[in-house]
Amino acid sequence: MLELVAVRHRYDGRVVLDIERFAVSPGSGIAIVGPNGSGKSTLLRLLALLERPSEGEVRLDGIVVAGAGPRRRITLVEQRPVLLRGTVRDNLEFGLQVRGIGRTEVNRRVEGVAARLGITPLLHRRRHELSDGEVQRVAVARALAVEPDVLLLDEPASSADRAAAQTLYRALAEERARRPFAVCLASHQLEDAYRWADDVRALAEGRLSPVTPENLFRVDLPVSGSGGDLKHVCVGTIEIAATTDKTGPAILAVPPTDIFVSREPLASSARNVFRGRVTRLTHQRPGTVHVTADVGVELVAVVTEEAARDLGLTPGGPVVFSFKASAVRVF
Amino acid sequence: MDFLGEGLRRAVALLLSGDVEVYGIALLTLKIGLIATVFACGLGIPVGFVLATKPFWGRRAALTVVNTALAFPTVVVGLLLYGLLSRRGPLGGVGWLYTWQAIVVGDVALAFPIAAALAAAAVQGVDPRIRRTAETLGAGRWRTAWTVAREARFALAAVITTAFGHVVAEIGSAMTVGGNIRGQTRTLTTAVALYTSQGDFGLALALGLILLLLALLVNVALQALQGRGHA
Repeated sequence: MLELVAVRHRYDGRVVLDIERFAVSPGSGIAIVGPNGSGKSTLLRLLALLERPSEGEVRLDGIVVAGAGPRRRITLVEQRPVLLRGTVRDNLEFGLQVRGIGRTEVNRRVEGVAARLGITPLLHRRRHELSDGEVQRVAVARALAVEPDVLLLDEPASSADRAAAQTLYRALAEERARRPFAVCLASHQLEDAYRWADDVRALAEGRLSPVTPENLFRVDLPVSGSGGDLKHVCVGTIEIAATTDKTGPAILAVPPTDIFVSREPLASSARNVFRGRVTRLTHQRPGTVHVTADVGVELVAVVTEEAARDLGLTPGGPVVFSFKASAVRVF
Repeated sequence: MDFLGEGLRRAVALLLSGDVEVYGIALLTLKIGLIATVFACGLGIPVGFVLATKPFWGRRAALTVVNTALAFPTVVVGLLLYGLLSRRGPLGGVGWLYTWQAIVVGDVALAFPIAAALAAAAVQGVDPRIRRTAETLGAGRWRTAWTVAREARFALAAVITTAFGHVVAEIGSAMTVGGNIRGQTRTLTTAVALYTSQGDFGLALALGLILLLLALLVNVALQALQGRGHA
């Protein structure tokens, strides 16, 4: 078990991370979600033992740790990874060589992980001959080659297109099926988070948020919908229409930016129209307002400050949230 | 202009004739230059690494000291060293005054801050993700330093050539603690100064050409070494 305990981390005197406890259990899959600048990368660097927390402890199996020894059980793939000098093969061999692993075993592991990640044709290439997406895949392969107990991934799909990201996630799932290890993934994309989520934790301004990320609902999708892929799913006291061919347990996500906010129902193609009351207005970024409303369940929408002002939104005031069935993401 | 042309002709003739004194001076300069560069870089580059990578109390002040030492006048270094090595000085018992070893010590003192400051700048110029990548893949302190050094190899090679160039070109310290003794401590720069003052312009020019040639050879050798590596 890898843990941060009572950690408070500062850069130039400014607190960037303030976490009472964060634990990564053996074999678990944890997603950390949060906007850019929320402290995800710092959290991962502390977990990777690449930085010492200004205050607090990092524990591995209950023992306070730091330095190169315990670091060998944890590997981080950075958001924009770099390859070391040499070929892709040299990079894949690096972590194995520093562990003093024999040549035969090095070759077996390098060729195995390269085949599983689909990078065998790249093995002889150098870093300047690779695209950003290929560099990211090589970096993941390089981390997997050392067979860590905990793999930390910082925005692993940021340099990849959707298809490449799917390949990467599939390869990671296969790798975990082959050899169980914990994965802790930071992402600002909920899709990425829920692809892994045994446990999703939200980070905002360096603190773990007690609430789950916005507009996410665990549901049980019915076997057949009333019309094609359009399905109606009960969430709290409302019924959300979603287009999906999936059935069974799933996660519904409604992106806050896909919700239309109005005072009265609008004539539109939106299948989901809910009346409710504003419970909270928060300014998380300049120029935008997060409108939290109770429409039977709590939903959050993002509007511009100008729109919030024009609509006269106030806590306790009436509001209508509308969104299309196709805007509902299903994982 | 005639004397310049005449001097150049004499220089070429001396070089081609294999004059024992000229080549003796050149070899002594090369020996002193190489030994001093090895010591200065051997000490200065690790110090530069530490200054660039290890946060410690007084690091900024240490960097300022090293950078200031870059501009230390060579004759002042020679003077201080003279004070230390002279018979009445604290290191007088060593008996190194007016020996080539004294010139090496002065050159190391001059080139050390160059090596440290330029190595610190070279290492600071390496993408910090390289260091983190090596560490997260399990590399220890030395392997990580080696990985970073490989990334900074061009800049570190420039550190070595700059240190060597500074060592072979300095005159103040070599003259003060070496004494410019014929056959013992006469280096290319002290000899150039002497023969110029004696009016032997051809010999001075020949020695100056050899000095340039030495610097050129060291640069070519280092570039050839760098050329063997790829990204």
